[in-house]
Amino acid sequence: MLQRRRAIPGTWVRFGVVLLVVALSVGLIGGGALAAKKRVVWQVHWSDFQIEGIYKGDKLVTRGLKQWVEEYQKSHPDVEIVLQTVPMEEYLNKLMVAQAAGTGPDIISVLNTWGPQLVNDGVLDRVPGDLASDVKNNFIPVAVEGAGVDGGIWGIPFEVGNYALVYNKKHLQEAGFSGPPKTWDELVDMGAKLTRRKKDGTVERYGFAFLAGWESAVVHPYLGLLWSLGGEYLAPDFKRAAFNSPEGVKALEAELALFKKGATDVSASVWEFPQGRVSMMIMASWYESSLKQAFGADYEATVGVAPVPAINGRSVNAAYSWWMSVNAQSKVKKEAWDFVRWFTAQPLPDGTTRMGTYQAENIGSIPPRKGDLSGHPEQLNDLYTKVFVQELAHARHEPNVLQGAEIKSVLWHEIVEAWHGRKSPQQALDDAARQINQILKEFYG
Amino acid sequence: MALVSKQARQTVTGYLFLAPALIFYAIFLVIPVAMSVYISFTNWNMLGPLERARRVGFSHYVYLLTADEMFAASLKNTVIYALGTVFVGMAVALGIALLINQLRASALWRFLIFAPVVTPAIAVGRIWSGIYHPSGGYLNELLRLVGLPPQQWLSSAELALPSIMITAIWAGVGATVIVFIAGLRNVPAQYYDAARIDGASPWHEFWYVTLPMLRPTVLFLSVTGLIGAWQVFDLVYSMAIGGTESGTTPARAVMVVALYLYMTAFRNLRAGRATAGALILFVIIFVITLVLLRVLRRGGLEAYE
Repeated sequence: MLQRRRAIPGTWVRFGVVLLVVALSVGLIGGGALAAKKRVVWQVHWSDFQIEGIYKGDKLVTRGLKQWVEEYQKSHPDVEIVLQTVPMEEYLNKLMVAQAAGTGPDIISVLNTWGPQLVNDGVLDRVPGDLASDVKNNFIPVAVEGAGVDGGIWGIPFEVGNYALVYNKKHLQEAGFSGPPKTWDELVDMGAKLTRRKKDGTVERYGFAFLAGWESAVVHPYLGLLWSLGGEYLAPDFKRAAFNSPEGVKALEAELALFKKGATDVSASVWEFPQGRVSMMIMASWYESSLKQAFGADYEATVGVAPVPAINGRSVNAAYSWWMSVNAQSKVKKEAWDFVRWFTAQPLPDGTTRMGTYQAENIGSIPPRKGDLSGHPEQLNDLYTKVFVQELAHARHEPNVLQGAEIKSVLWHEIVEAWHGRKSPQQALDDAARQINQILKEFYG
Repeated sequence: MALVSKQARQTVTGYLFLAPALIFYAIFLVIPVAMSVYISFTNWNMLGPLERARRVGFSHYVYLLTADEMFAASLKNTVIYALGTVFVGMAVALGIALLINQLRASALWRFLIFAPVVTPAIAVGRIWSGIYHPSGGYLNELLRLVGLPPQQWLSSAELALPSIMITAIWAGVGATVIVFIAGLRNVPAQYYDAARIDGASPWHEFWYVTLPMLRPTVLFLSVTGLIGAWQVFDLVYSMAIGGTESGTTPARAVMVVALYLYMTAFRNLRAGRATAGALILFVIIFVITLVLLRVLRRGGLEAYE
């Protein structure tokens, strides 16, 4: 018994020594190897299949981000690209918290609305000259406009978003319409005729639904109408709001006509389009795969896409963009930019880039580089995306203004007040302008 | 001398025992609170370094209390939400507790009534969003059956907050019921016996015996309930702001303080203003708790002494 008691500490001591030796040698050997490998953290907002790739059975049919990263690492064994996935709605929060703690990612996906703040607070590193020239020369104008803050380029645009009218072909045919509406008045008229009600007055199927639920969803389509009518969102020097003009009121009244004529109401939701409960909606380009999945074999026979009906003879499309930028606080800036260059700017033999291929084939969104736009006809000229790509020709990028998200939120809340009939269009826009002017005064004097 | 030395030794030993707790509180409570107070006087947005943030004095406090319409709306909505969910919830819970207390298989009933409490708020929000759905939800189907017009429960500016409150009461009533049942079982039987000998009706028994004896329980539930209700976030976020099918409820109609703080800090990049709002919320909760403690302090057996 006594011997056993003595034996236990002895065993533990020996075990500890062995562990220590193993740990030290692993630390020395492994640590040496790890120290040579530069670790570049890239925080992305993409989901599982966008990261892991799309498989049919065991066969990889569409590359995910992971496979691109693996390819890079093969040719750059000294670099490790670590993908950190964060849901889109939490992306900025996580970035802010990490940045405050000094642990921000090396490569950041930037939504243009956040751009000016990130530039102002020194979060973003200046884009190297060759890449900035590449953006200016090889990207579509709306994307170049989108990546600019104070005259500089602050990221490589990898996605540009805009809007179109998505409609249910079968619903339109059933109601005797030969095609989608071309003018806003036609949209209102057709929307009202397409709406089906039950005996008690509840809506069974909406003729039209607005995209809603977050600031861009509500404000972007409104900006399209406002710009089409010749109005302005903000003054060019960002010192005051400009949307509470007669054009701005007319644009909001045009939206309200859909409510007043019974084409839609505040319960109408674009997310019910796949269930056949909505006939027409103003939607963004990223909704394609959800619709394909929802309608399955019926997709082509059901889904139609057309430009947003013109309000004033011409249609202007509000656009937004995402950029790939490098953290100014990163300790591996060179490696990070090298990877960004390889992924977004180094052309493949067919003139496309890796990022463009990834965006077009996997994400299903519109890559803003000219070579990528023409290099993926199968994906970008299809039933859904074609119209969005065409509409980019007369798209206008939302302004990159400090507190852009807050300003848009104010306008969003006031537009929704008008949708609910709680405020007249003029009152809602004046209230929004008053609050926004206060924000602009704080930041632009 | 020896006595003083012994006392000093005891004091030191006492503080040594307290030290881990004190250090813990300093790191996780005192320092963050002090930092929050400091941040509330700056224009920090969490992106740049705090030391570079502009100091703005009391301007966030002044703005929030005098000019910020959304903060004012959020305070009003939170008061309505807190008072409604806590006191209506308590009344409902007391009724259920009295019923369950007299039923057989009360453990089964307690389990059933408690089930929603352990369901995550986001799931509760999702389920109730379905129940409230304007065309396919059970609630409107029910209204239709009894010949009443269907309602836009979550999309209507007038109904959205009450609808969320009903969900909150449903989700939280179980915990309140359990506490009430415990309170009810602590009322000594002789009080009821005495009341009955004096000819008290069941109503008199409830009003003059049960309710006064439950005062400590009511105090506990009011204080904890109100503190919780003041901080409501997930249910409103999932049902009306970020998670509804349409998401078109006017924000002003459903904005509560915690949601306002979240939006202000993380969406509008105003950590300084959000922190000032959080401190205002803290003062409000503190004052209300003090008032409640004062009003309901005496209760139970103590009230009879």
